[in-house]
Amino acid sequence: MKKLLALPLTFALAASALAACGPQEGTTSTGGKKEDSSKKPEKLVIWEDQEKGVGTKDAIKKFEEKHGIKVELKEIPMLDQQEKLRLDGPAGKGPDVITTPHDRIGPLAIEGLITPVEVSDDVTKLYTESSVNALTYDGKLYGLPKSTETPVFIYNKKMMDKAPESLEDLMAYAKGDKGGAQYGYLANWTDFYFAHGVLSGFGGYVFKEDNGTLDPKDVGLANEGAVEGLDYITSWYKEGLFPKGIIGEKAGSTIDGLFTEGKAASVMNGPWSFQGYKDAGIDIGVAPMPKLPNGEYVKTFIGVKGYNVSSFSKNQEWATKLVEFITNEENAKVRYEKTAEIPPVVSLMEDPIIADNEAAKAVAVQSERGVPMPNIPEMAEVWVPAANALQLSATGKSKPKAALDSAVKTIGQNIEANHKK
Amino acid sequence: MSIKTANRIRLTLSYLILLGAIAVVIYPIIWVVGSSLNPGNSLSSSTIIPENATLDHYRKLFAETEYLTWYWNTLKICFITMVLSVIFIGLTAYAFSRYKFVGRKNGLLLFLILQMIPQFVAILAIYILAFQVGLLDTHLALILVYVGGLIPMNTYLAKNYYDTIPKELDESARIDGAGHFRIFWQIILPLSKPILAVIALFSFISPFADFILASILISSDEKQTLAVGLFNMISNKFGNNFTLFAAGSVLVAIPIGLLFLSLQRYFISGLTAGGTKG
Amino acid sequence: MTHRKTAALLSIIPGVGQCYNKQWVKGSIFLFLAACYFIAFLDFLNIGLWGIVTLGTEVPRDHSIFLLVNGVISLIVVAIGLGFYALNFYDAYQNGKKRDMGLKLNTLREQYHNVIDKGFPYLMVGPGFLLLVFVVIFPIIFMLLLSFTNYNLYNSPPSKLVDWVGLQTFIEMFTLDIWRETFISVFAWTIIWTFTATTLQIGVGIFLAVLLNQKDLKFKGLIRTLLILPWAVPAFVSILIFSGLFNDTFGAINNDVLAAFGIDSIPWMTDPFYTKIALIFIQSWLGFPFVMAMTTGVLQSIPGELYEAATVDGATTWDKFKKITLPMILFTTAPILITQYTFNFNNFNVIYLFNNGGPAIPDQNAGGTDILISWIYNLTMTSAQYSKAAAVTVMLSIIIVSVSLFYFRKTKSFKDEGMI
Repeated sequence: MKKLLALPLTFALAASALAACGPQEGTTSTGGKKEDSSKKPEKLVIWEDQEKGVGTKDAIKKFEEKHGIKVELKEIPMLDQQEKLRLDGPAGKGPDVITTPHDRIGPLAIEGLITPVEVSDDVTKLYTESSVNALTYDGKLYGLPKSTETPVFIYNKKMMDKAPESLEDLMAYAKGDKGGAQYGYLANWTDFYFAHGVLSGFGGYVFKEDNGTLDPKDVGLANEGAVEGLDYITSWYKEGLFPKGIIGEKAGSTIDGLFTEGKAASVMNGPWSFQGYKDAGIDIGVAPMPKLPNGEYVKTFIGVKGYNVSSFSKNQEWATKLVEFITNEENAKVRYEKTAEIPPVVSLMEDPIIADNEAAKAVAVQSERGVPMPNIPEMAEVWVPAANALQLSATGKSKPKAALDSAVKTIGQNIEANHKK
Repeated sequence: MSIKTANRIRLTLSYLILLGAIAVVIYPIIWVVGSSLNPGNSLSSSTIIPENATLDHYRKLFAETEYLTWYWNTLKICFITMVLSVIFIGLTAYAFSRYKFVGRKNGLLLFLILQMIPQFVAILAIYILAFQVGLLDTHLALILVYVGGLIPMNTYLAKNYYDTIPKELDESARIDGAGHFRIFWQIILPLSKPILAVIALFSFISPFADFILASILISSDEKQTLAVGLFNMISNKFGNNFTLFAAGSVLVAIPIGLLFLSLQRYFISGLTAGGTKG
Repeated sequence: MTHRKTAALLSIIPGVGQCYNKQWVKGSIFLFLAACYFIAFLDFLNIGLWGIVTLGTEVPRDHSIFLLVNGVISLIVVAIGLGFYALNFYDAYQNGKKRDMGLKLNTLREQYHNVIDKGFPYLMVGPGFLLLVFVVIFPIIFMLLLSFTNYNLYNSPPSKLVDWVGLQTFIEMFTLDIWRETFISVFAWTIIWTFTATTLQIGVGIFLAVLLNQKDLKFKGLIRTLLILPWAVPAFVSILIFSGLFNDTFGAINNDVLAAFGIDSIPWMTDPFYTKIALIFIQSWLGFPFVMAMTTGVLQSIPGELYEAATVDGATTWDKFKKITLPMILFTTAPILITQYTFNFNNFNVIYLFNNGGPAIPDQNAGGTDILISWIYNLTMTSAQYSKAAAVTVMLSIIIVSVSLFYFRKTKSFKDEGMI
């Protein structure tokens, strides 16, 4: 019996002894400790989004020349950067600057993977207020905006003279001759990112907003408006105007394929797709989304991509300078020319290069009608259940109301389970 | 019904079934080749026999992506993995087949079972371990993990094969004064070529298929592997590189296919003995 | 005091006991090794063991997860050290015992031969074993420990420390509605998937191997090579290609193959039932070549006399297959066939890459074709719920390990009866 007692006792003793030793106060172990971050580093590393490096290269070169700091650019799919930073950061292999869509800002800030940037008001004034707000979480600014985007209406000028005023007109067109295309219009409406505009145009919402703060307990995706919206979305599938082959995971690339081959006359997609469509030889026209049958605008999600400073960076001051530099007016303009992604820089918005550009203007106009994607971490629980509801309704397996009710219930449960603070 | 007709029916049926199986197996593969020659970018435009066949995607693969670098890296990793695996497995299996030691009875089975445990959380651990020993972003880290993963199952196969080699051979050599290692080197090794060829093949192809570990452990572009490169081509939700991906895949499958073909003889006989004495 | 006790007691410092036994060389080697061990690892062990107990005390200096990993490595290093330490005691005691009984101790030369002889298998297994400890055992220990922490989005380094929370994560799992409601249906499909997909791939593999083994069949080599091709293409490539081929509207299966037979389009990707069929088909396609190759080997080793004897007894072809061929195959390859089942139980890739667990089905927190592993992945990784992911994996592992242990034992006892 004594022996039995002795064992846990020794363990407890050993444990307390061990707890007492360990690193001495003030020593550094893993984890980024910033020592004298104002010292000029030899090299900075920036993670750019896939295939978007062309837009940043020139700016980086200029930065290198100006400050004598080498900047290494690596292209990593934007949505993988968070995952990679979580490991590479503490291991010291991480970048100084990452790029991320603003809806990830919340989780990144909570985990402490990115650090607030300290820039003067002169700098923030450069950008549109809404884009700066999108990069703000919990009252702190995490990074500077690189581009703003929202899905718009893109059409093949060979098949469509001009963009229709309303979705009803569009539907009539899709039922008609379609300018020789197989499909008059295609949209990835089983992906919540694209479908949200319709649902919220009818009156649905993701999280209730109250004075700029979002309430994750109030999910408005099953309210009357949202149901009406899904009903409308479903009608496109029901009428056979959207084929079954664009439902689910791979819908995005399938739609892209059909559009670039001239089999679809028009699509709903974001500014990131413009270049690819042009490269494929399609003469595209771009317009804001046509109006909904209830006369409202499609309230698409607005996304702001930004450059953020990693909290593992040993040179946060210089990393911030780099971010400031590559997002400044001059370099933003170059990036816009190379990638066609629209920088939310106030002065550029009025610059003829954007103001007179049909596509850029369409995005700007649509942005005014949209709502920013929520940047609170609870948003992560919305995507999958919402997409499931869309899919179930589109395939006729559930009624819109039932599908959305179930989705909201699941979202609530997942938030409850994963976001207890 | 005479025996002759019965035989003829049996054979005809067999050929028909085999033909069907070949069709099912080959169809997707031909399809990939076909779509790699299609001019478009996406799957929806591809056809099995392209109208305006083009080698454009292959050209693009070499001109616009780091395909050759990936290929070279992968071949290097595969080759070293193969050599190390054969050495490790050959030795380990020899010990399991011929010697008594602690853990001999259940050691292999233990590892076979432990390997069944899903590893997706564990990748975190492997990453940090690689960091701690300074192997992060090196091919060596990948190779060591691959070799470790290959050991249990293949040791099991090799041990079974060794077991079929009569023990009298070692004993007579021992009487002649041969040491442990010499017996292994001069008697066992030459006799076990077939199974070692099989293990070499298994270990050579396994790194080709891994895109998870490699994408996490390797961060430099110039060290990237084929699987990761190919996977990134198609995983990008907004990208449209299906035909390019197909071209890349074809070039991966060809050398492996040829290797299979050339090793087939060993392959069957190696597994034969390996299997029979389980 | 006897020599054995003195020697063992002196061995508290490794090597001293050996020196007491007048085995100077061995003693100094032991002492040297012990010194090396301490010099090399003392700091690391200090931080490592401290880290695993506290998981860090100060943000952002301490990264709990890195500390946890270091802790696990330290434990392994300590275990290895303790092993040698025990060996040192044992050796001193044994040699002391010999001296007590008045036996002569081994000379240096004899010791050397002894080490080579007895140690040879360890020498051969050692490197492989060490690698396995770090590649297989170490991650499992890490995962097990992680499941007792609260590592998630809100308790995540570098902004927060991770803490030990005991069984809390496990308890939470059983009390959450989402898990309970969906678990049964996902589990049911996981079982069905494992059995049908694996059995089919094994069945097809064996069947084709038997067909190919007919003596009077021509073009064996060519056919075999063609049939083995799916193995030569990396699985993720094939799966992604299949997911294109099975597209409801644009896929070649509907448009070309089924259309050629006059069959209407089938909703492969949007109807769970058909997605399941497609998945089972794909897995069989991917998995049968290995079984076929292995079975071919077995078939060629079955002595022809067995069949001749059976023919004399008037057995039909079917009888021969059932009574000789099949038992022979199952008997010799059982452990490997079991690993095929467990592989499919955890076959994340095929489910995830084909349709990401979809299509959706009503009132369920998982996709229609999600198996346990892919479901857990989605549930936990959307918001970095690492400790939950670890806890569920631990529970899954318990199921897998106990089931396969059961079958392994069964095949083993089967084997011990000595079928051949």
